[in-house]
Amino acid sequence: MQGNEQGLVDISITLNGREQKVAVPADMSALKLIREVLGLKGTKEGCSIGECGACTILVDRQAVNACLVFAPQLDGKDVQTIEGLNREPRFQALQQAFLDRHAVQCGFCTPGLLISVYALLLEEPCPDRDEVIRSIAGNLCRCTGYHQILSGVDRAINPDAEWRPDVG
Amino acid sequence: MSGKQYYRPGNLEQCLDFLAENGRESVLLAGGTDVMVDMRAGEIDKSWIVDISRLPELWGIELQNGKLWIGAAVTLTELLNSKLLQEHGFALHTAALHFAARQIRNVATIGGNVAHCSPSADTLPPLLVHEAEALLAGPCARRRIPVGEVAAGTYRSALEPRELIIGFELRPRSPFLADFQKIGRRRELVIARVNMAGLADMDEDQRMTGVRFALGSCTPVPRRFADVEALLEGSRPGRELFWEAGRLAAENMIRMSGRRPSFVYKEKAVQGLVYRMFSPLLEA
Repeated sequence: MQGNEQGLVDISITLNGREQKVAVPADMSALKLIREVLGLKGTKEGCSIGECGACTILVDRQAVNACLVFAPQLDGKDVQTIEGLNREPRFQALQQAFLDRHAVQCGFCTPGLLISVYALLLEEPCPDRDEVIRSIAGNLCRCTGYHQILSGVDRAINPDAEWRPDVG
Repeated sequence: MSGKQYYRPGNLEQCLDFLAENGRESVLLAGGTDVMVDMRAGEIDKSWIVDISRLPELWGIELQNGKLWIGAAVTLTELLNSKLLQEHGFALHTAALHFAARQIRNVATIGGNVAHCSPSADTLPPLLVHEAEALLAGPCARRRIPVGEVAAGTYRSALEPRELIIGFELRPRSPFLADFQKIGRRRELVIARVNMAGLADMDEDQRMTGVRFALGSCTPVPRRFADVEALLEGSRPGRELFWEAGRLAAENMIRMSGRRPSFVYKEKAVQGLVYRMFSPLLEA
């Protein structure tokens, strides 16, 4: 496939369950497409070089950094952002667990963190703490110190989980 | 508008036809995790972005004709999930485990990691110890080159603009010791300061055989060190021997790269890491 007469690339994506056609510049990032063209601002822009994870989205149910993906690469793919995942009960339970364990302070990293954890839970419903830590290694949080986040994940996996101050 | 254009060939033949015409004005896109960053920084200024990630000829991990084939568009996550690789290329599997973070492993490809020619590419030391060859396709012919010759220098490819890597052929091995070691500023999501891979078997006389050793991040292009391998080959594992092997690796690094400010640290780090990598053999 190749660009149209305007030099834009016609792509078709399933965004949060809805099929959408859009024409994008060849070198536009998926992040810019999602935030600026499609107007979904829940996906955050942090570092723009794949180090902070604030822009994490799901592409074909896998966590990826939207800042490192070219928008045309999304053609034909299933894309989920925080706005769509918000509607899924299991995701809501994860959000509630984060709230219960005070895993949110400024909130900037939260959508990316939730999606990284959710991607892990899709593959492994009962991960151990090491797996959880590895799954969020690409997500930086400058407020919480991670204890509350890991505790939130514990609670999402097991609602009766005790608060564990230790971090592996 | 940047004026850049995107092209996604449907098969390898279309891709080669396109590159024959436009290779010099094209950048190849597989996962894109390096291309995006370099393009935004203005380090890549090509008018065509050619997306090769969906070429079926670049997929798959297979044992065929006594070789382990890994397609260039195989992602790091696919490497990590491969039972075949765990069995026949454990050092590369371990490198995939320590590669960047999950979000990047899900899109970054082995072909891209090699083609980018970074001195600290994590897949290079394991590919080197498995004596991998890169299979290249060009407009007229296919050719194969040792994987260590893909880079002509730091971030400089030896490939022609009309060529691409379609995959790698590794010598499959399941030796007694197969490992990848890496140190950086933090444990995860880090560019290696030092990375290395090693393979070694033990014969019935408790001597090391089939020793392979490659070091990354310390020389302009990652490479195997024949003298380190020769020192270990045929010897019995020993603390002093491994310490000496580490010293030799560090000495090579300094000879090839000159004394650099970081080497105050790296000289010790290389030595210690070589020791750490081979030390499980002490209990063999």
